[in-house]
Amino acid sequence: MKITEIQSAKASEARQNDSYISVKNLSKYFERKGESLHVLDNISFQVKKGETVCIVGASGCGKSTLLRAIAGLDANHDGIVTVDGADVTNPAKERGMVFQEHRLFPWLTVEQNIGYALNGVSKEERRRLVHEHVKLVGLRGFEKVYPRQLSGGMAQRAGIARALVNNPSVLLLDEPFGALDTFTKISMQKELKNIQKQSHTTMILVTHDIDEAVFLADRIFVLSARPGKIKRIVPVTLPEPRDRNSYEFLEIRKTIYDEFFAEGQDLEVPKGKRKKPRISVG
Amino acid sequence: MLEDSIKKVGYAAEYLALTAAILALWFFLDVHGDLNPVIMPSPSKVADTLGSLIGKGALWGDLLISVGRVLKGYLIAASLGIVLGILIGLSKHLERFTNLLVQLIKPIPPIAWIPLVILWFGIGESGKIFLIFLGGFFTILINVIDGIRQADPKLIEVSASMETPLLKHIFLMVIPSAAPSIFTGLRTGLSSCWMCVVAAELVSSSTGLGYLIMNARQFGRTDVVLIGMLTIGIIGKIMDSLLKVAEKSVIRWN
Repeated sequence: MKITEIQSAKASEARQNDSYISVKNLSKYFERKGESLHVLDNISFQVKKGETVCIVGASGCGKSTLLRAIAGLDANHDGIVTVDGADVTNPAKERGMVFQEHRLFPWLTVEQNIGYALNGVSKEERRRLVHEHVKLVGLRGFEKVYPRQLSGGMAQRAGIARALVNNPSVLLLDEPFGALDTFTKISMQKELKNIQKQSHTTMILVTHDIDEAVFLADRIFVLSARPGKIKRIVPVTLPEPRDRNSYEFLEIRKTIYDEFFAEGQDLEVPKGKRKKPRISVG
Repeated sequence: MLEDSIKKVGYAAEYLALTAAILALWFFLDVHGDLNPVIMPSPSKVADTLGSLIGKGALWGDLLISVGRVLKGYLIAASLGIVLGILIGLSKHLERFTNLLVQLIKPIPPIAWIPLVILWFGIGESGKIFLIFLGGFFTILINVIDGIRQADPKLIEVSASMETPLLKHIFLMVIPSAAPSIFTGLRTGLSSCWMCVVAAELVSSSTGLGYLIMNARQFGRTDVVLIGMLTIGIIGKIMDSLLKVAEKSVIRWN
């Protein structure tokens, strides 16, 4: 191979890595009772290999729909999604998915749930991988426990372990900590960060929690209300470990906050919903 | 601890109260001499007859024969019901293909089949077992289909997103998720089979609890009728309890 060829191969690999996940002109309509609902409007972006991207938006802006399109769970859309150069039309184990609800199978124990994701591996390999991932998410001692007996945070850890056990190149998380209390949520965010450091997985995380996005993301995509469009991309270059109360953190937080609540436009209570103040006469 | 055991005694009392009250009423009416022995024999008469029936081994023989018939018909109904139910539950095409026939046959009571069964099978054992099979089959089939249909689409999606092979998907995802429904079908199906065994033994038979009851009726032996009825009730209850135990040991996750 000539040097120029090597160089061009390297360049193309770099390009490939820069656009490891690529979404081009993605639009999505839902048909409901003959009416067409425009959910996503011409979305295009690229995600680098190993990058963590958070998609932030109000509820109903189509952010989960976008994630499902990348996962291949919903291929019924306009536009093209590619991961590592290949078109995404079906779900694949190279793209692990974590949902808002843990979605563990109630009839399988923690280790069986994690092992369920593995297909075509030997018994020993399965045992090794399951054990390794149980350890990774800090669930040692709970291998034989059924999901019913787990707390919300522990169940979600098991869900993350299941999504990671195939060593996916991409981890897609749909409001994974949305149902957890603040304390559990913050410790889970830290752990997700550690996991990402160990596994170098490319991550896309959908959330409506601005703090979560600033804490986790390399870049934050702000999605507008329906139809969802990328309104703004905010790079987060804060040093690790990130301090949630540092000035820089709060500054980025405010930038994103202002995207949603600019000049109080959304803070006004709609007239119909305004409650009359009750005055009690003593 | 003490409170717990008091509670348990209370629950047991609650569980037994209604049956005990009816038995007490029976004794009470007997003591007051309000019972016409042809319509309702006295408790002591029933106990005596029970003793002599057991002593002669007559009850035991009829019981074993009926249990055997129920088990044969039930096992065929359960295995066919589960296998076909899973297949139909998994395939929309198969459901459309079979739905009309199932819906048409299901409401026909097994007793209405008796004339045809005699013509088709004669008066031997196979006809009786076919009737018992009919009694359990549709209940089981429909519960299994429902159970599979009601699988959580979110969990199905999870399984699909992992490129799960079909057989693994069916055995580790679809069937366990339908297990509670399958057990409901198995339990209601079993009691339907017991209902049919009496009807089946009406079809010219000289053995079994159904025969025992109908034969006693002809001789005006209400005490034997009662014993036959109660035996069916008790055996049915025991078999249902066994199924419940099986259900609990299979569905450990709840």
